[in-house]
Amino acid sequence: MTLSPRDPHRLLAGLQREGVRLDLSTLDVCFLVALHLRADQDGLASFDEELVFDVFEQVCDLVEPGLENSRRRATHTIQRLRGQRMLARVDATGIVSAGEYALTNLATVIIKTFLDDEQLTRESLALLTGAVISSLGQIHTAAQRASDNAVWRSEVVSPLRITVGDLVGGIERRQRGLDGQQEEVQRQVGELLQADWFGAVEQCQGLLELMAGTLQELNEVLLRDSSHIQALLQEIQRAAATVGATEAEEAAQRVGEQVDRMAAWGASRQQAWSGYYQYVHRFLRDVVRLDPDRALSQRLLDQIRNWPSRPFAMIVAAEDRIWLLRSVSARGERPPVSRLREDRETELIAVAGENHEVDLEQLVQEALQEGHVELAAVTRSVLSRIPAAEHYRSTGLIAAIVAKSSTPRSELERPWIVVTNAVEIEDWAIEVALGRRAR
Amino acid sequence: MSNRFASLQEVIQDAMFPGVDVALRRGRHIDREDGDWYAFITDAQEHLEQLYRRYGCELVMQSDGYFYLLPTGDSLSRRHLNAGEMLVGQTFALQYLDPSTVQSGGMVTREHLLTRLAGLVDERELAKALEPRRKRFDDERIVHDIIRRRVAEAIRRLASLGFVEVLDEDHVRLRSPLLRFADPIRGLSDISVAMERLIAKGEIVDLDANDDSANGDGGEREEDLDKENENGDDESVDDEESEA
Repeated sequence: MTLSPRDPHRLLAGLQREGVRLDLSTLDVCFLVALHLRADQDGLASFDEELVFDVFEQVCDLVEPGLENSRRRATHTIQRLRGQRMLARVDATGIVSAGEYALTNLATVIIKTFLDDEQLTRESLALLTGAVISSLGQIHTAAQRASDNAVWRSEVVSPLRITVGDLVGGIERRQRGLDGQQEEVQRQVGELLQADWFGAVEQCQGLLELMAGTLQELNEVLLRDSSHIQALLQEIQRAAATVGATEAEEAAQRVGEQVDRMAAWGASRQQAWSGYYQYVHRFLRDVVRLDPDRALSQRLLDQIRNWPSRPFAMIVAAEDRIWLLRSVSARGERPPVSRLREDRETELIAVAGENHEVDLEQLVQEALQEGHVELAAVTRSVLSRIPAAEHYRSTGLIAAIVAKSSTPRSELERPWIVVTNAVEIEDWAIEVALGRRAR
Repeated sequence: MSNRFASLQEVIQDAMFPGVDVALRRGRHIDREDGDWYAFITDAQEHLEQLYRRYGCELVMQSDGYFYLLPTGDSLSRRHLNAGEMLVGQTFALQYLDPSTVQSGGMVTREHLLTRLAGLVDERELAKALEPRRKRFDDERIVHDIIRRRVAEAIRRLASLGFVEVLDEDHVRLRSPLLRFADPIRGLSDISVAMERLIAKGEIVDLDANDDSANGDGGEREEDLDKENENGDDESVDDEESEA
């Protein structure tokens, strides 16, 4: 046994595709209500066209007096209400024919919402919860005896959905009615105080007490009965789960969710009302009773108006930082601040020195002895015997040694001679001293 | 007087003491809606009065059902409310006394407050009181901007002092300490006499008689607070409120 779940996406898409909408003016609602009342009064199941037009005209006289062309307007309104599935045009055989109209279920629900004073009272709630418990008891018995799918469907699923679902729905509807009543009481309290300041105290307190009492009683009934209802629903769910009656299990679960919502409503409303109740009581005690003539408001009004010409200001404490004292402790030996000693000296490592020192003096002397008479030739000869990295540094030294051991012959323009690939020098002609050459 | 606390030591050892003490020292008004805090002060009132007297402060309890700390000596810092806080506070007090507020359980909107304030004080006068250092108030847009900004700031500060409770961006709930703004006109005596008495008690300060104060900034102490607020340093106050 499986329940075909209603896919909300498909449902919503369908509604969107059909362009479903409700658009009711005050005149429309009054017209529907008037039809409903007439049906009640005369015991009518449907209305002939003339009656519908008559009712519309009467409603127009009340709601929009002076409306011209009311018959045409009536035709238009009827058409619109039919389009919104509020009014159906029918005849006795079910075939569309002229002149017979009836209110649809949708219209009836809307009318009842406006007409029925569905307040939740202790009696009505106790009656409804009692009816739910009684129905669930029967369903529970049926669930224990159910032998096949047909029995599960007819004696468990349907009663759960229709009977119990409707009863719980009825409680929820009345809860909404009570919400409206709360708002009304709040409005009344405000209006009473506005109209008769001190004289309204007793009436306000009466209203508050009445509402608080109602909420408390309702909450008590809800707390007591909802646990009983939930226990029965769990029994039904368990029985359904045992035989794999998924549809019944799901129906019981849905009702359980409704009951949870119902119980949560009671607690939340009682809490909210408690806050309001306390506020109004404080107001009545601290403001209304202490200022029975309501002179304080007027004097405060004058004070504000005169404040710019005679400003004063209230003083408040403003210690935004307070000293936090340390907890008391006996003064003892405090260990000195220290940390582990470590040798920060790095170990010395013996590294073999690079000895690129070349005896340039000797090499220059040898080059001179070879008979070179130009600095470039001497330099070329010396550089050819030392590493390339030393060429640049040595070039200057060679020139210094040559200058020291010989005499350069000056020329006006001394040529630059390429010595190696990387070195080019200004050349001198040199004259080597004989004694030195011999040495 | 409850015998819940036999000695000051027991009061200080109570888990609620640090929060209540810090809140009172910061100028917070604690009323019945603060629940446990209010009950704690009520039970420990005698001990706390003695404790704060030693700091040169008075723990004031008003018959309207709220407590606050009033520094009368130099041990604890104090400040006076600025022009914005005073004007907004008085207007809130007026709304608190209005029966139409009862319908909503003491809840008002910022828009309603601004409308009420504008009905009581001329907009330019109001802007001038809120920003006394500014010279020109010709541009209506600037005047509105000043009022909106300064009123929002005042509401925030009044909330941190326990006068109101900010519910959301638009809604504010009025609390009984607002009646402190009506103190000068509570008795039957002339308002001048009442104000002299309150000034002598150190409850209020005459801004006309105080040049530093008359500029509306409330002196050095308040400027410091302004800076803190501009930096959004209000977390501690929020914490207190959530504890309350």
